[in-house]
Order: sequence, then structure tokens, then C-alpha cells
Amino acid sequence: MNQTQGDTAEIIAEEYWGKKGDVDLFIFRKRLAAPSDTPRPVLFLVHGSSFSARTSYDLEVPGHGEYSLMNVFARYGFDVWTMDHEGYGRSTHTDGYSYIADGVEDLKVAMPIMEEATGQTTCSFFGSSSGALRAGAFANACPERVAKLSMAAFVWTGKDSPTLKKRAERLDEWRATNRRPADEASYLGIFSRDVVGLTIPELPAAAAAAEMANGGGSVPNGTYIDMCANLPVVDPLKVACPVMIFRGDHDGIAADEDVLNFFSALPNKDKQLVMMSGQAHNTGIGINRHRFWHVLRAFLEMPVRLDNLEG
Amino acid sequence: MAEMWQQEYWADKDGVKLFMFRKCLGAPQAGDAPRPVLFLVHGSSFSGPSGFDLHVPGKPDYSLMEKFAHYGFDVWTLDHEGYGRSDSTDGNSAIAEGVRDLAAGMAVVTRETGAATAAFYGSSSGALRAAAYADAHPDSVERLILDAFVWTGEGSPTLKERSKKIDQWTSSNRRAVDRAFFHSIFNRDMPGTSEDGVSDALADKELALCDAVPTGTYYDMCVNLPVCDPTKVPCPVLIIRGEHDGIATEEDLLAYFDALPNGDKQFVVIPGGAHVSFLGVNRARFWHVLHNFLTLPGRADSLGS
Repeated sequence: MNQTQGDTAEIIAEEYWGKKGDVDLFIFRKRLAAPSDTPRPVLFLVHGSSFSARTSYDLEVPGHGEYSLMNVFARYGFDVWTMDHEGYGRSTHTDGYSYIADGVEDLKVAMPIMEEATGQTTCSFFGSSSGALRAGAFANACPERVAKLSMAAFVWTGKDSPTLKKRAERLDEWRATNRRPADEASYLGIFSRDVVGLTIPELPAAAAAAEMANGGGSVPNGTYIDMCANLPVVDPLKVACPVMIFRGDHDGIAADEDVLNFFSALPNKDKQLVMMSGQAHNTGIGINRHRFWHVLRAFLEMPVRLDNLEG
Repeated sequence: MAEMWQQEYWADKDGVKLFMFRKCLGAPQAGDAPRPVLFLVHGSSFSGPSGFDLHVPGKPDYSLMEKFAHYGFDVWTLDHEGYGRSDSTDGNSAIAEGVRDLAAGMAVVTRETGAATAAFYGSSSGALRAAAYADAHPDSVERLILDAFVWTGEGSPTLKERSKKIDQWTSSNRRAVDRAFFHSIFNRDMPGTSEDGVSDALADKELALCDAVPTGTYYDMCVNLPVCDPTKVPCPVLIIRGEHDGIATEEDLLAYFDALPNGDKQFVVIPGGAHVSFLGVNRARFWHVLHNFLTLPGRADSLGS
């Protein structure tokens, strides 16, 4: 296991820009400032439907401890990347809907930039909610780029999903316009829809403030439409790499059976299904996020195989 | 750095003496902070210390007991009735007897450590014993780890083959074991998942203790599955499965996993692993998974019971 650096270790933050046609895509990177003898493993974080990259993975909630997944994994020794997908945060807000398929194209743009900066051609991907769908669909499309895939708050077919059943009631609304408001009230709804008590009361305001600072206030509807009308968008049979699926016990985005079926179909036998108590949909910024960090790190730092049977 | 400390004990199951073995880093001292107890439960074909404290000439790190002692655990194991140094009786040491053995062993653990609970790890029919013990004694199982586990046996290649000898398992309470048998344990699923020398080291150790082992767990696995009920296991559970392990189908294990009521549960497949994960080439991956499950931080919310 890599040595963890203390909270005071200096972390470098760098910004990059990718270009997808006319669309500018904001890319953000954090890693320890101290030089490393060996290349730092790259971890690419993929955001979901309602928060841009830094709100999801680099959030500050003053007085309430560490919320930045980027900082945590930078201290673990990773070179941590994320990006704002089309229509989110500081990336160009277009007339498009930023569907899952668009997110895959965004990730394709980020890869050469990551490669040029790090010298590495592959990285580990983590995605949450529709970020897990983007990451999974990217692993289908570009398996040569994905060393490991971690998915939290994942849904496969959507069968018997309480959240998606509710969300589908507004499908016409999602289709009628390409964007919906993203503010403190909407975030309070996201954090409380599964169960109350697994996020701190200050979180909706902190998330809304971060989102506004990152150019937000509204987000695209494409992933909501995909999740209500177009699932499945990820084929487990086409995921070649090791996979960890993380599922919170209160998360209504999927039924257990749906997740188990996806897991069962994965062809790579290096796979883990972690179900965790005290977790709802937003595992990364919940009260028990330290438990999520623990299992994600354990998956990413799994010792290498020593047998000669790997085909 | 503290040195490895070990101690032998005897548990009493209604007059049947059961051998127990314990390892931890440094001798326990009065006033020490309690170390988490990890209780290792052996399977059908070799006794506790033989499998869990194996030393292979010229090859490092085969003792699971020492590895987890180094991690800070107080590691215990027990020879079930009819195995190793424990008493042999006319019984066949079926799973239900194993549960009674563990209850007797846990009384010794509590007496010596003050701990009323332990994390239980079981491999193969040891996993069946541990799971059945968790069903019967949920208050003393803090966490449960099931490796090379089988629930219903539906579709199991190994059990289909084993059932061909059911008359042999029912006609006698013991079955002979020899060096060739120990070789077969490591080769039956997939050659290359263990190093040369491991099966011989295990045979050397076990054959010095006995030339036969009880038939009860083989019989149970062929005839009486399921012997444990996932809905009665209240604690967090980790299921570890070697990629090539023929003892169960993945479908069987996922059905058990799905029925577990505790929200903390993990299902981990070890690629390049077979039936005896902890003595395999990739045992470092097995340690990693087990250690991370055992050290999962506690919840910080107020919703947990």
C-alpha cells in the first residue's frame, strides 16, 4: 500500500482544456507536489448528472473536515484527474443535452491530454451515478484506456429502481428543455431523497455555492433522459478490465438484483461487489465517506497477480 | 519489534478435548489494549495449524496466522473433533459438530482474552462451520469471512465428483488421506494456482498427525446442503471466491450473498485463485482483501444500530 502523506503535504492543482469540436472542456488535476521515484498511478474521476467535477470531487465544506476526494487520493499517492462534461461547470454550455454518449466523447478528448502530461496511456476510472454510466460506457468504447473501473451509485437496466421510477414521471419535462436548475433546493432534494441523516445539513448550501462558483446554476438533462428512457447504456460483457461496484444500502438508483446481474455478467474475474451500510446515493460526500475511501483505495492498490495463468 | 508469540490451549466439548493454537505479535500483557481476535476455521481435509500456520521450505509467507499477527490481530485456530491433535471419537465430525467445537473454542478465547466476540474466517467446509456458527451464535461473531464457500451446492463441479463416492463417506466415519490426496487438493481446479512444494509441505505436516480424517463434512456437502441460512447472519460478511474454485458456482454464492441482511457485505473474486486461496500463488491478494475487510472504519452517522 502506498504511504499516505499528511494533511499538510503540498498538493499541486493544475487546469487543462480539451477541445471537442467547438466545445471547450475543462480538465482539472491534483497530485502531491513532492517528486515521486515512480510514476504516480492515474485516477480519473467522472462526475454525474447534477454536479460538475470540482463540486463532486474537490468540494470544500469549511469546518467539516475533508470532502475532496481529489485531495484524499492525491495524499494516497495518486495523480487525480477530473473534467467538466459538456454543459457542466466551466466547460462550454451548449444547446446539447450532454447524454451519456456525449460524456464518452468528452473522456476521449481528455485521454491524450492526460497521456501527454503523465506519460501514461491508461488510468483507473471512478464514476458515480451517471458518472458510473459514462465511465462504464467509456470502458466499452475504449477498453485500451481503462486499467481498472470503479462504479458507485450505478444502475444497469433500471428495473425496479425507485429513484428512476420517480424521475421518469418528469420525462417530458427533461425532454422539453436541455437544462434544469441546479441550486440549493435541488441539492437538498438529492441528499434527502433516499434517507435523511447520511449527509450533513450544511452540504446543500456548500454544494450550491461550489457549483455557482464553477459556472453552474443549471445542468444538462441528457443523463436524466438516458437513465429514464435509454438504459442499459453499458454492456458488462464489453468491460475487459477489473471492476469494483460500490453500492450504498439506501441508494434508490437501482435495485440490488439489477446490480447483481451486471456484476455476474462481467467477464473479468478480478471483480468486487461492495455493499455498504450507512450510504445513500452520494457516497463520496456523505458522512461515511471515509469508509468509501477505504474500499476504493483497497481496490486500486490490490497487489499484482503472481501466477502465469492470466489470459 | 516484538517477536511472534504462540500458545497452545485445550477446549472441552463435553469431554472431547479440542486442540487450540494461538499466535500474536508479542506475549499478551495485562493492561495491553485488546487486540482484535481473528478465529480461523479449517475445512474437511487438514487441521488448523497445518493449514493456517504452514511453513514451506525456501518459500516465505505461508503462515496466515503469522501474517495477521503482524497486522495486529490475535489469531486463533482449533482442530475440530477427529482432526489433528483433537480427540477422535466414533462420530464423523459433521458441520453441526463443528459448530459445537467452535462454541467450546470461543469459551477459551473469551477466558484468555476477555473478548466476547471475534471475526471468523472459514475456508471450504470451514466456511460452512463458521457460517452455521454465526447462525447459531450471532452474538459472538463480529464479522464473518467465507472463503471457498458453497451454499446449496447446485451446479458444483467438485461436489458432483465427490458425490460419486457417497457410499464411502457413509460407510465409515473416517477416510484415508495420503500425499497424493494433498497434491490433488491443489491441482484439481487449475494447476499453476499454487507453487511447487506447498502440497508436500502440507502433507508433511498433516501426515505426521494422522493418516485419516472424518467424513462428516464431505457427507454434509454431498447430501445435506444448505446447512446455513444467510438470513440468520446479522454481522458484516465477506465472501471470497477463487476464480477457478470448483466447489460452488458463482450463481450459488451470489444467491447467498443477496439474501444476507446486513448492509455491509462484500463479494470478491480472486483471479488466479483456486480452492485454497490462502496457500495459493496469489495469497497476497487474498491477505489484502481480508485485511481491508477487517479494518473497514466504523460508521460516523447516527442511523446505524
